[in-house]
This record gives sequence, C-alpha cells and structure tokens, in this order.
Amino acid sequence: MIANILDGLVLGLQFGLLAAGLTLIYGLGGVLNLGYGQIAVTSAMTVALAMDAGIPVLLAIGLGLLAGGLFGLLLDLTILRPVYRLHGEARVLLSLLLTLGVSFIIDGYLNWRYPLKALNLYIGGGAIEVLGVPMRRGSLVASAITLFTLMGLFVFFRSTSLGRAIRSVIEDEAGARLIGIDPKKMLRLILVLSGVLAALVAVTRSMIAPVDTTSGLSITVFALIVTVVGGLGNFVGALLAGIILGIVSVVAADLIGSYISLIILLGAAAVTILIRPAGLLGVKE
Amino acid sequence: MSDRLTRRAGTFLIGGTESHTSRSLPALLLPITVVGAALALVPLWLGDSRVFMGVAVLGLAFACYVIGFNVIFGSTGQLFLCVGALAGVGGFGATILADNVGLPIVVSIFAATLAATLIGGLLSFVAVRRSLGVIFTGIVTLIFSLSFDALLLGLSNLTGGDTGRLIESGTDTFLRERIPPYYLMLAIVLVFLLVHGLLRRSHFGWAFRALRDDEIAAELAGVDVARYRVYGALIGSAMLGLAGSTYAFTEGRISPTTFGFGHVDVVVLVMLAFGGIGTLFGPIVGAVTFTIVDEILIDFGQLRQVAYGILIIVLFLRMPRGVIPTVDSLWRRVRGRAKVVEKF
Repeated sequence: MIANILDGLVLGLQFGLLAAGLTLIYGLGGVLNLGYGQIAVTSAMTVALAMDAGIPVLLAIGLGLLAGGLFGLLLDLTILRPVYRLHGEARVLLSLLLTLGVSFIIDGYLNWRYPLKALNLYIGGGAIEVLGVPMRRGSLVASAITLFTLMGLFVFFRSTSLGRAIRSVIEDEAGARLIGIDPKKMLRLILVLSGVLAALVAVTRSMIAPVDTTSGLSITVFALIVTVVGGLGNFVGALLAGIILGIVSVVAADLIGSYISLIILLGAAAVTILIRPAGLLGVKE
Repeated sequence: MSDRLTRRAGTFLIGGTESHTSRSLPALLLPITVVGAALALVPLWLGDSRVFMGVAVLGLAFACYVIGFNVIFGSTGQLFLCVGALAGVGGFGATILADNVGLPIVVSIFAATLAATLIGGLLSFVAVRRSLGVIFTGIVTLIFSLSFDALLLGLSNLTGGDTGRLIESGTDTFLRERIPPYYLMLAIVLVFLLVHGLLRRSHFGWAFRALRDDEIAAELAGVDVARYRVYGALIGSAMLGLAGSTYAFTEGRISPTTFGFGHVDVVVLVMLAFGGIGTLFGPIVGAVTFTIVDEILIDFGQLRQVAYGILIIVLFLRMPRGVIPTVDSLWRRVRGRAKVVEKF
C-alpha cells in the first residue's frame, strides 16, 4: 500500500506540474491553451536534438526550457493578440480553437520531420529505498525537481511583489490596472512562464517514460482535466488535484488493473467537476 | 439586431446571423431537394472507383455527424466533445448486437441508436442540472470520450482492441456493394436536414434562437431553457448514433480510431465552423469541402495536419461565423445596393 501511495505521489506531482502552467494562463487571461502539450513536445525535441549534436545534458535541458519560454512568448505576440480583444466565454472559445490550430501545425510538422524521435533522459544506477520501498532513481529525481519548482512558484506568488502583482490581476483586472499594474505585461510573463513549465513537464516526464512526437495530445488532455478538477486558475488546487488523481490512478491500477484504472481516474475527475464545478479549491463566482 | 445581441451575449461564434427563417414548407423543401439532387449525381462521376465511393460515403457520414453536432452545439450551445464517442456507441453497439447477439441489422441499429440517444440526453441533463458552461460541458463530454476510448481498447475480445473488428452481418447484402451504401447515407443526410429544418420552423426553433441570443431573456420570457437543451441533445445524439451504426455496417470494419476524438470530433468542429455554426446547410458545405480538401492533400501525409492547423487559424480569424453567414450577408449587401440603385 505504501508503495502504491509513493508511486501515486510521483504520478500526482507530475499531474500537478502539468496543470500548473495551464491553470495560470487560464486564471490570468481566460485563455485555454490547447497547444500546451505541443510546447512540451517541442521542448523535448529541442533537448533530444541538442543532445544528438553533442551538447552536454544540462545545457541541452537549458535550451529546451528556453525553447518552451520562447514558444509561450511567440503565442502571446502572435496568435493570442486577437483573442485578448474578446471577453468572457468568447475569449476562452477563440483561444481554444486557435491554439488547437497551433497544436495541429506542431504535431503535423514534428511527426513528419522527426517521426521516430523520442526524448529519454534515463537515469541509471540502482533503486533507492524510500520508507522500505525501492524507488527508481529517475522517478525520485523527477519528483524532486517538480516539488522544488512548485514550491518555488508558491513562494514567488506569495512573497515577491511581482508574484503579488500577477495574483492581483487574477483577482481583479480593473483594480490591478488602477494601481498601476499592466495586465498585458503580466500575461506575457505568465505565457513565458507557462511555456517553461511545459518544457519542465517534458524533461521530468522523460526521466520516467520516453516523450515522443505524439505525446502532445495526451499531455494537454491530462493537464486540462487536472486543471479543471483543481479549480481553473487555482495553482494550489491543481497540485492537490494532481496528487489525489495520481494516487487514485495508481491504487486503481494495482487493485483492478489495466484500462479500468484510466476509466476510474476519468470518472473521479468527472464526479469532482459535477459536485464542485468550481474545482476542489475554487471559489464560486 | 440579433447580431448585436449574440455578440453581447459573448457567443459570437455560435451562429446567430440567420434572423430570417423561411416560414413556408416549400421554401425549406426546395433547397433540400436541390442539395439532394446535386449529391445524387456524384456516383455518375466517381461510381467506377471503389476507393472514391468509400471516401464519398465517409464524407456523407461526416455530414450526418456535423448535422447532429450542429443541433446540439449550434442550436443549444452545448459543446459536446463526444461526437465520435456517441457515433461509436452506435457503430460498436449495433455491430456487436448483430454479430455476437444475432439480432437483425435493423433492430440492432435501432437499439444502438437508442443507447446513443439516452447517453447524450443523460450527459446534457447532468450538464444542465449542474448548470455547467460551454467549457465545462466540453470537458465533461471530453472525459466521456476518453473513457469510451479506454473501454473500447480494454474490451478487446468484443471490440478487437486497437486493430478493430470485422463486421460479418450484412456481408452479402447491398450494404457492401459499391454504390447503394452511398444512396443510403445520402437518404439519411436528407432526412436529417429535413428534421433540422422542421425543428427550426417549430417552437423548438424559436426557443433555440431565443436561448442562444440571450439565455436570461429567454428564461424571463418563459422558455424552459433546461428542457430545450436536453431535447436538443437527445435529437442530436440520436442522429449521431444512427449515422455511426449505419456507417459501420457499410464500411465492414471499424476500430477505435474510426470514432476517435482526433479523427472525428476535431474534424466535425472544423467542418461546422467552416460551413457556419447554427446554419441549416453549413454542415453540408463544410463536410463536402473538407472531404475534397482531404483527398487533395492525401499525398502530403503528416503535413496534411499542418495544412489543417493553418486553415483552422485563418478560418477563425478571418471568417469566425463561417461560409454560409458570410456569403449570406455579402449577398444581402449586394442585393440591398442593387435596390438602392433601382430607386434612383
């Protein structure tokens, strides 16, 4: 049972990191980015290609994170321009459709150009015992990176003035503008940040399982589900939802097995949405 | 006027340009007959090729899906991202009932259609009761899609898993000949068009338009929004189930990708957005155009997806209301100007 919970935590942290980037842009800008998984895949390919070219791993990972950030910036400067002119549900809908187009372009191009390429950052060495359970090194490193990143984000949003400025825009855009915060600048910053987070998802995921050019859609879908269960725009909720769904998924896989566990995971998400449409930690407007 | 209202309600993408609906029955029947006659000529041109007839039948199946989705999304604003899954309930349900249980084909199609109808109605009922918005309805139905896909892959002894299943029933009937399936699917398309057209003329149509333009105003005026949403979902899902099950029998082989999210839902959304969400003939325009575009681009393999992506972006930026409303308003402007000229 402890083994299951630990495995669930590893998966849950991944889910949490997945959702973090998506939930931030939704909360801040009302933009639903369906190209999120494709940002992750683009970064994964950048790292893989850089490593092929003989660049050291850490530097290659740095390049991957840079690629993710640039991707986010590019989205903000181009395709999201017309989206920002709309408001409310229309904005969500248009952003969803346009980024769907982006995801098609990226998926199609990468599958055509690098059909069999995959990023696999396998970390060798034996298993490490945690609470008497042998855990793979890769899982532990990935979880540690995820945990540090999420804690870093938490501190950033709580304690720095820039983080507070961003939160003020999430709370009340008009109010934020009144005290001299430019929501557009904050949004650009968040898009870059979310791109970097997507890249980090690809890097940590590839320590556990290979990330290939077709992973984009499933990354986006799971990010979306975890985001909604946690409460759109709620960063701590996303983490909580990720961990709960991760544990549910692993325990169900162990007790019942195979495909039913995926259905249970999805069912749990659906039930949460129906019971609490605002999400686990969401506030009803 | 209605144009301004839709934009204010924040649903600029969801149709709303056709403030004028023809009241007389001939005015509805005539265009449907014209469309039917035009599409009936296709086998004269492509009838020699089994491959092209297969493509044409698939195109008509997609036209059915788009009409069904249009009734649900275009008319009542519920973003059902389980078009493929509901069609798959029809397709897999009917063929399993016919092959493994041994029911007659017509009975199994009926039963599977009923199942799809009830599932769609239930999804809508839940979404309405919990008053989920467009996005949340989308996500709940997306979750249903993914669960259905997982179920298909899991129950591989029934569904054939990844490779899919061969359908034995109907092997020696007209369903597997070259040209008859085309006319069967065409008949279904025309019936769907007629049903949708009649719905728009009836009190359903008034209620749909009212709740699309301004939900709160509609509610205040005594329209039972919740009930009409569920009705819309029931009718649309029945269309999806019927089209999916009939297509499965004519195709002879189905797999999870036949009804997969990326394969059906995304394409249906693009087709409808291209033709014009909420319009009567938009689904036909979209399905025909994209079936042809798809054939033209077939040699490009994966790059075809890139073309689709670019098309989606250009489409939603330049023509967010679709071809039919755009052409419609152009036509009115031209005609309006002509009248002004006449006066002088």
